[in-house]
Amino acid sequence: MKAIELKNVTFSYEGYEAKVLDDACFSVEYGEVALLSGFSGQGKSTVLSLLAGIIPNITPGDIKGEVLIGGEDITERKMSDVCRKVGVVLQNAESQIIQQLVEDEIAFGCENFAFTCDKIKDCVDRACRQMQLNPQWKTRTLSGGQKQRLITAATLATEQKILVLDEPLANLDKPGAELLMNTLRQLALSGYAVLVVEHRLDMVFPYVDAVWSISNGKITAVKNKQEYLSAQAEHIQDTCCLHKVEKTVLRLDHIGFSVKGHEILQDISFEIKKGERVLLLGENGCGKTTLMRLIARLYQPSKGSIIQGIDAKLGQKVKGTSSWFKRVGMVYQNPNYQLFMPTVQQEVAFGAESAEYAEKIMQMFGIAHLAERHPQSLSEGQKRRVSIASVVATKPSVLLLDEPTVGQDYAGLREMVYILNQLHEQSGNTMITITHDMRCAEALCDRAIYIENGVVSAEGGKDLAHKYFYVTNVLKCK
Amino acid sequence: MSEKLLTKHPIYPLIGLLASILIIIFGLITAKNPECIWFLGGMWLLLLVFGYWRACLAVVPVSVVFCAVFAGITYAVSGDINAAYAAVNRILAVCVAVIPGLALPPIVLVRNFSALNLPRMLTLGMMITLTFFPLLGGEVRQVREAMKTRGAGSFFSPKIFYRAFLIPLIMRLVNISDTLALSVETRGFSKDAKNCSVYKTVSLRVVDILFLLLVIAGAVLAVVL
Repeated sequence: MKAIELKNVTFSYEGYEAKVLDDACFSVEYGEVALLSGFSGQGKSTVLSLLAGIIPNITPGDIKGEVLIGGEDITERKMSDVCRKVGVVLQNAESQIIQQLVEDEIAFGCENFAFTCDKIKDCVDRACRQMQLNPQWKTRTLSGGQKQRLITAATLATEQKILVLDEPLANLDKPGAELLMNTLRQLALSGYAVLVVEHRLDMVFPYVDAVWSISNGKITAVKNKQEYLSAQAEHIQDTCCLHKVEKTVLRLDHIGFSVKGHEILQDISFEIKKGERVLLLGENGCGKTTLMRLIARLYQPSKGSIIQGIDAKLGQKVKGTSSWFKRVGMVYQNPNYQLFMPTVQQEVAFGAESAEYAEKIMQMFGIAHLAERHPQSLSEGQKRRVSIASVVATKPSVLLLDEPTVGQDYAGLREMVYILNQLHEQSGNTMITITHDMRCAEALCDRAIYIENGVVSAEGGKDLAHKYFYVTNVLKCK
Repeated sequence: MSEKLLTKHPIYPLIGLLASILIIIFGLITAKNPECIWFLGGMWLLLLVFGYWRACLAVVPVSVVFCAVFAGITYAVSGDINAAYAAVNRILAVCVAVIPGLALPPIVLVRNFSALNLPRMLTLGMMITLTFFPLLGGEVRQVREAMKTRGAGSFFSPKIFYRAFLIPLIMRLVNISDTLALSVETRGFSKDAKNCSVYKTVSLRVVDILFLLLVIAGAVLAVVL
C-alpha cells in the first residue's frame, strides 16, 4: 500500500475554470523521502493542500479523481480526520505559533490528539532533541530559523507516519537545513513517508529518494535526478564587472546591540567601500538582520557608531530621516510590509526617480504585465519582485537586501540576480545582501562577512561565501 | 497583551473570569456612588497582593488617561460633578476587571477550558484572540519602520500615510489569522473533538477560593455600604 497516491486528479479552484491539476498522478511510498519540484505557480502548494485536506474543507474547488492517503480516499473526509493521518508543516512558521513556550507549542498538537501526559512529555522531549530546541525557550524570542524548526518539531511530535512539508527550509541556514533533512531521512528509514516541496533543490537533493516534477497540471517522475537537479540547481555565475572605488560609504565602529539585556551583537567593526557588494553570512539568529537594520538606521546601536560617507548632507544622526531613506533603500524579508499602493504601476512609481525610470524598472523585473494589478493580490514571488523593483526605482546609493530570493524558482532567481547586478553596474550602487541561497550567494558578493557570536568571525571574498555554503564544517571558514 | 504582564502563578482561570465579571458588574451598579472608588481600589490592591502587580501597574497610566478624558467630556456635557465621578468609576471598573485577563498565560486558560469540557469554539476563539494581541504591537512597529523605508511615514501626506499604514497592517493581520487558524486545524484542533487531553492540569487551590471569597466580600460591602 502506498502512503500517498494521486490517481488521475483534476482540480480547479472555485470560481476559476483553469485546471491547476490535470489528470495528475503520483505516489510516495512508506520509507521514502520524495521531493515535489516545479516553478512558482505550477500547483505544488495545491497538491499539499489536497493531501492535508485543506482542499476542499477550507478552500473549495472542483476535484475529480482520487486522493489516497494510506490507501483511503480523503476527498470526502473532514480535515480533523485527515490531520490524524498526515502531519503538515505549512509555510510562514512565524504566523503559526500560538503558545509562549516551546514546550507548550509542541504539546498543543499532542493534546488535541488526546495523548496521555507521559506520552506528551516523551513526544515533546524527542521533538526538541530532533530539532535542537530547548523546551523552556520563549517562542517570541526565537529567530526565524528556530521558529521554522519549532513548527516542524510540533508536527513531528504528533507522530503521523505521513509527513508533508511546504518549503520547510525557507528560513533555515545550511546547518539548520541539514539538521532537518537528516531528521526526515532518519524518519523515512524508520518507515515514515515524507513529501517535501522545496525550491532549494541543491540542499534537498542528497536526502531524497524520488523526485517528482509538476508542470502544466501534470506530475511526472524525474528519472535522471542528477541531470534534472544539476539543470535546476546550477550555480549562478557572477556577470558583474564593476569594481569598487576606495571611498568608504559606511564604517561600523565597535557596534553592539542588546535587547532587554540580551546581547545580539557584541563588537562589529568593518568598512564598506562605494560600489561594493557585501554579503552578510551567519547562522540563524546570529544578528544579520539586526545588523542590516542598524545600517539602515531603523535601530540605534547600544554601543559604537556607524559613520556614513554616502553624502555629507545626510549627517551622522542615528535615526533615519526621509532624506536618508531616499539614499538608502531597504528591501524587507517579507514584501507584504512594503506594498501599499492600489496598482503595481503606482507602487513602483512611488518615490521613483521618474515615471520613465519606473516603467523601465518594471520591464526589467518582468512585472509590466502586472501593472494594473493590486500588489497585495499577487503571488509571493511576484510580490517580492514588485517590492524590490519599488525600492530600486528610487535609485538608492546603498541597497540593503534581506533574503531577496526566497520563494523564487531557479529561472526567477537567475533573472533576479542578473537584474540586481545589471542595476549595480549601471548605477554603481553599494549592495549589502543577506541570503541563505547558496545558488546565488557568490553572484551577489564581492566581499563576505561572517558573523558569529555577535562579532565578525571571518572576512573574505567569494571564496569565503563558497566555503560557508559548500564546506560542511562552518568553522573551516576561518 | 504583553508577555511582560503575565503572572507565574495565576488565579484559577474560571475564578479569575468570575472575579472580573463581579468587579465589572458591581463597579457599574455602584458607579454613581462616590464610595465605589474604594471598592475598585480594594480590588486593585487585592490583585496586586495576589501576584498581579505587573498588570496592576500597567493599567494605571491607561486608566488615568481614560478617566481624565471621559470625566472631562461628561462634565462638559452635563455640568454635573457626580456624573463625572460616575464616569471615572465606570472606567476604573473596566480597567480593574481586565487585570486577571491581562496577566493570564493563554495556555493556562485553554487547558482549563479543555479540562472543563467547555465548547471548543470558545477555547479556539480565546486562544486566537490572546495570541493576536502580542503580535499586534510588533506588527504595527514593523509597518511603521517599513513606511519610513519607502518614504511614506510623513503625517503631511495623510493619504499616503493611511495607505502605507493600514493596507500592509490589515493584510498582515488577515494573513496571520488565516495561517493561524489553518495551522491550529492541521494540528488536530477541531470544534467537535470529543477527546483531547491536558498536558499540565490547572488545579484549584485554597488560595483561589480565598481570592474569590475576598472579591465576593468586597462586592457585598460595595452594595451594603
